[in-house]
Amino acid sequence: MNRIAATGIIAVTQLALVGVGVAPQLSARVTGDTYLVRVAPVDPIDPFRGAYVALDYPDLRHDASQSFVEPGLGALDDGESGDVYVSLVEEGGVWVAETWSRTRPDDGPYLACDDRSWQIRCGIESWFLPQDEARAAEDLLRDGAVAELRVDGRGNAAVVDVRAR
Amino acid sequence: MTDTSSSSPAVVTRPVAPQQLAWLRTELAGWTSEGIISEEQAALISSRYRSEHHARISVGRVLLYLGAGFVGVGLIWLVAANLDELSPVGRFAAVAAIWLAFLVGGEVLAARRASPPLVGAARLLAALGAGAVLFQAAQSLQVPAYEPRLVGLWAAGTLLHGYLTRSHMPFFVGLVTGVVWWFWQPMWDAPNGLTVVLLLGAGAVLAASLAVLHDGWIDSFAWAWRTVAGGMALLALFAAAVPDIGSDGIEWTTWLVVALVVTGVAALAAVLTRPGLRVLEPLGAAVVLVVATLIGLWTTGTDTSSVDAADWAHAAVAVTAYVVLAVGLVALGTVRNHQHLTWMAMVGLVVFTTFQSFAVFAPIVTGAWLFVVLGTVFLATGFLFDRARRQLAHALDNDSSAGAGDGAEGEAR
Repeated sequence: MNRIAATGIIAVTQLALVGVGVAPQLSARVTGDTYLVRVAPVDPIDPFRGAYVALDYPDLRHDASQSFVEPGLGALDDGESGDVYVSLVEEGGVWVAETWSRTRPDDGPYLACDDRSWQIRCGIESWFLPQDEARAAEDLLRDGAVAELRVDGRGNAAVVDVRAR
Repeated sequence: MTDTSSSSPAVVTRPVAPQQLAWLRTELAGWTSEGIISEEQAALISSRYRSEHHARISVGRVLLYLGAGFVGVGLIWLVAANLDELSPVGRFAAVAAIWLAFLVGGEVLAARRASPPLVGAARLLAALGAGAVLFQAAQSLQVPAYEPRLVGLWAAGTLLHGYLTRSHMPFFVGLVTGVVWWFWQPMWDAPNGLTVVLLLGAGAVLAASLAVLHDGWIDSFAWAWRTVAGGMALLALFAAAVPDIGSDGIEWTTWLVVALVVTGVAALAAVLTRPGLRVLEPLGAAVVLVVATLIGLWTTGTDTSSVDAADWAHAAVAVTAYVVLAVGLVALGTVRNHQHLTWMAMVGLVVFTTFQSFAVFAPIVTGAWLFVVLGTVFLATGFLFDRARRQLAHALDNDSSAGAGDGAEGEAR
């Protein structure tokens, strides 16, 4: 095969694979609807991954259990692990969890999560920021804040903003 | 009129170490003086090899690959930790530009016939850079990096790079990440002891099938797949023999079924397209898969304070199966002139025998007696293994002497 063509195929394919890798979050950002949920801080800095704010969602949390290694939304502790779907309902201008289920709800809105690593994780537990902004965000979270989520029809979610309530 | 000078194939000289060339010339001189070959034939043979200072080149090669590895890993780390001054899009663009520069640069160097280690280093950087782009995009979009999917996609991209350019470094990165993904993805759904055994056994069948399919097509890739197959087969039986590893039974998941189906398709392709003795490799690996699964499913109870007849039988079957596999790998290594397989089999047997001795006898035999028992078991298996290896090498040597006389160097005995 022509070397230029081969290089082009490699470049295009690898970029396409990057697209596949981020497709759920990309879909949430591009096609998702906006939902506001209350947030609280968990842990400010992971030395190996740079500065980010670990987010806790009091209204989406299943129970009080927490992992210091991987932030999450509690644990179902039903003897199983795998996909978890969190149905959302609106209460007082913010969205809160209504039910936690192992089967995908017929209609939304809901978050597609999993608890294979014990804690329920929905891909919205961390928000990467520059070091100085992370500290400012910490202060903001302590005073009470909401996260702006985008959630698509399949429950894929992405954090697009955190702001004062 | 035919121009014979242009139609005759050009003689390609092979680089060999100076010591090897000196040895060959001494042998040629001896054969010439004994009248086995003529002086013209000796000169013709000698002209096919040239001396090359491998030691000096290999140091440069090691430094280049090491440097490329450090730069690649540093690139990924840099992206993951320190590029927080740029916007997410800016970070992605910066890393993608670096990756593209390495990818194109490597191919430009290859087209200009630059030194192979230099080309390899650039391609290694491109392969690592592909991972950096993927994880950077994931980080920018808050994609969970703890899932195996990203590693699988990285493996797919670098394997494509390796195959399209026939280059070892991207293939190596793809092979390593692919093996990681092979285990991680099914284990993500069902972390289970027998899943590990099944994946190791199926991985051996898949890799052996791919090795056979690559023979005569891309021989260096066949060598790599064969090495993976041997390693996975040894690990499959090792894992299966761990007491009570299969007490939870088999937990079927979608990815496990997909892995087994892919394995079956590869094995079928090898059997259909490479008839003859070669199919013994995937078929032998399939036997390892079945035997490992059966041994894994055979649970003898969790009471470690006593060793009953079932424990003895379990250990005996496991050791016998492992010795048979080790001898089979030595045979394959001898036939294929693949010394790594022979070494892997021997090291595997040592580790396996030691582990089994401790696992089975430690509860009832302690202290100095444990070492006596272990030593006895080890001596017995070592004696039987070496005897089998010698007989095998002798038989193969006789076969090759009686055959076409392909000049393969005999196994040292």
